[in-house]
Amino acid sequence: MSNEPVLNDSQRALLPALLDTIVPASAEREMPSAAEVDFDAYLATQGQGAVPMLQAVLESLGPGFADLSADERHARLSELQSQQIALFSSLLACVYDCYYQDPSVRVKIGMVRGPVFPQGNEVAQGDLSLLDPVIENADAHRYRAPR
Amino acid sequence: MSDDVADVLIIGAGASGAAVAWSLAETRMRIVCLEQGDWVNPSAYPTNSANWETQAFGPWNIDPNVRGLETDYPINNDDSECAVVNFNGVGGSTVLYGAHFPRLHPSDFKVKSLDGVADDWPIDYATLEPYFAENDRMMGVSGIAGDPMYPPKDPPLPPIAMGLVGETLARGYNKLGWHWWPSDSAIISEPYEDRDRCLYLGPCMSGCSQGGKSSTDITYWPKAVQRGVELRTRCRVREVTLDERGLADGVVYYDENGNECRQRAEIVIMACNGVGTPRILLNSKSSRFPDGLANRSGLVGKNLMFHVFGYVQGVFAERLDSHKGPVACCILSKQFYETDAARGFVRGYNMQIVRGSGPLGTAMAGFASGAVPWGKGHHEAFAKQFDHTAAIGIVGEDLPEEHNTVTLDPELVDSDGIPAPKITYKYSENSLKLMQHGLERGEEVMRAAGAADVMSAGPVRPSGWHLMGTARMGDDPATSVVNRWGRSHDVKNLFVVDGSIFVTSGGVNCASTIQACALYIADSIKKNLTNLFD
Ligand SMILES: Cc1cc2nc3c(=O)[nH]c(=O)nc-3n(C[C@H](O)[C@H](O)[C@H](O)COP(=O)(O)OP(=O)(O)OC[C@H]3O[C@@H](n4cnc5c(N)ncnc54)[C@H](O)[C@@H]3O)c2cc1C
Ligand code: SF4
Repeated sequence: MSNEPVLNDSQRALLPALLDTIVPASAEREMPSAAEVDFDAYLATQGQGAVPMLQAVLESLGPGFADLSADERHARLSELQSQQIALFSSLLACVYDCYYQDPSVRVKIGMVRGPVFPQGNEVAQGDLSLLDPVIENADAHRYRAPR
Repeated sequence: MSDDVADVLIIGAGASGAAVAWSLAETRMRIVCLEQGDWVNPSAYPTNSANWETQAFGPWNIDPNVRGLETDYPINNDDSECAVVNFNGVGGSTVLYGAHFPRLHPSDFKVKSLDGVADDWPIDYATLEPYFAENDRMMGVSGIAGDPMYPPKDPPLPPIAMGLVGETLARGYNKLGWHWWPSDSAIISEPYEDRDRCLYLGPCMSGCSQGGKSSTDITYWPKAVQRGVELRTRCRVREVTLDERGLADGVVYYDENGNECRQRAEIVIMACNGVGTPRILLNSKSSRFPDGLANRSGLVGKNLMFHVFGYVQGVFAERLDSHKGPVACCILSKQFYETDAARGFVRGYNMQIVRGSGPLGTAMAGFASGAVPWGKGHHEAFAKQFDHTAAIGIVGEDLPEEHNTVTLDPELVDSDGIPAPKITYKYSENSLKLMQHGLERGEEVMRAAGAADVMSAGPVRPSGWHLMGTARMGDDPATSVVNRWGRSHDVKNLFVVDGSIFVTSGGVNCASTIQACALYIADSIKKNLTNLFD
């Protein structure tokens, strides 16, 4: 048995509502909600350190959080943000970290699916004829020679 | 090992230590380098994982106090307006540097003569020119010849792609009629020697998995080791020791297991950077040098310079693909590099165009600034920022002031019990005026380039990446620590080759000039070998 802290059942039951409040889905942009990406796998592999923080957040939100309307959940989290900004920032960092690693999310925002190495990116050289005015005006840009 | 005497002992395997080791190796002297950190395995760099941004904020943080590796030493920045950042391992800070690789300008070596401030260097641009060129070849530098802001120079590789970020800002500069040029970058745009080209991953400042970035663990070190230099890692030097004649005779260091060891040597070369070198010199006290080794001038640890750093960010309506490509290397502008009395401050600054953040950085920075809310509206706001930003780093000249110091902390120690450096540093009025000017001009460029939203901030605190001035070079032993070729005025077989020897900082990133100085000092040692101790 590992001694790593884990979320209990009632905490787990609140998670989707919390994740969905922070990053809701957007039909227009075809973006999933944070509750739709694999947060469990993230917690198991990279997010273990975040469990005590999540426990503190979920405990402070209380068991009724999942039953609130979307606007009420937003208001409740805003309250947490104003009362405990450090805790709230850690929560955001954790949720965004998981969300923006999801391969489908990454592709939608224009990134490579997985780790950027070894695939890499293509970047256009850019139009070097833009240098012409600098070259034509070189005397105005000449370095200052010491006496 | 105590009767094992090296001909040359180098302390620190970073930018300067690597260059001096490689250059001296052709003498076939027995050269040993002691480095407190490890070799870094490129497959450990964050870009091998999808969560590279989180790793860059944590275990690969540029701040050693946050990173907190066993191989790091703590730094007390409490009395400093700027926090030191670095990396400790083979390659030194080049492992995490941005690889923006400008040289100091000819005027930078003569600011007293030109502008009546600080001091002139005892050497000049022309002295270093061949070493700049040699260093560009050794490191693998990409750029384009013809920049009128420098005497002629010819980078060995074509420029790094400037992409949409560079093009967009270049149009802004052209609209204003201001200078700009593709950056010299210590990143290879094409395959070079046995290295493959940059893959435009983006986050060079948490290490380059591809080996496209020219950090000295993959440039100088393999060649220096091949030439016979012995590089010993996990060896942390505590102090340099003296013989009865007052010459340096070696060091005391701790190995990986904390054992106290001794390495003797005929010549000792300090290459621990502008904070690490004064730390060890100040910790090397003896009856001859009660205030620290080579410190008869009282200037070891004084005149610490960083560069004042701030940034301007623009958000553009069109997509700029700004997360792609080396974050710190794109284009630059020297429009405000030289003194203009009408501006109300002396000297000037480089404008370094910086590409954009990854998604986590974008979302978190957007949260902090209010530009990207969580909850409803997140996706719309995120999409307006991500890949739509460009930034201008303002890197300004920081003039030397004796009250800006590295001293030994009376309480804080590293894991071997060696006193940690304590930084005492305040920006001068000149630096603050320069920064204000830079931020305003940066905003002007952004608007000329078509940015919809513009914000700026500076000076920024965790920006102590350029560490200079704490063992300054000069001809007069009363006002300098080392002579014009890096030799201590007080101890004839002790040399300093890192950024500590800078007399003034210039207004550009310093790695290229640090390495050119190290190669020049190595050549001076070679030329003077027969009369080194006279
Ligand atoms: C995040 C970051 C970004 C940067 N970006 C740029 C850039 O874009 N362009 C640029 O020009 N510069 C940049 N720099 C700065 C540049 O990397 C440094 O100026 C340069 O590496 C300094 O070279 P150095 O030889 O003086 O010291 P370093 O490269 O710092 O090497 C010093 C070495 O000495 C070792 N050492 C220290 N004390 C001891 C001891 N007691 N015993 C044994 N070993 C010791 C350290 O472990 C380290 O490896 C950046 C730096 C950082 C940290
Ligand atoms: S952008 Fe190029 S240099 Fe930077 S990390 Fe990627 S491959 Fe390396």
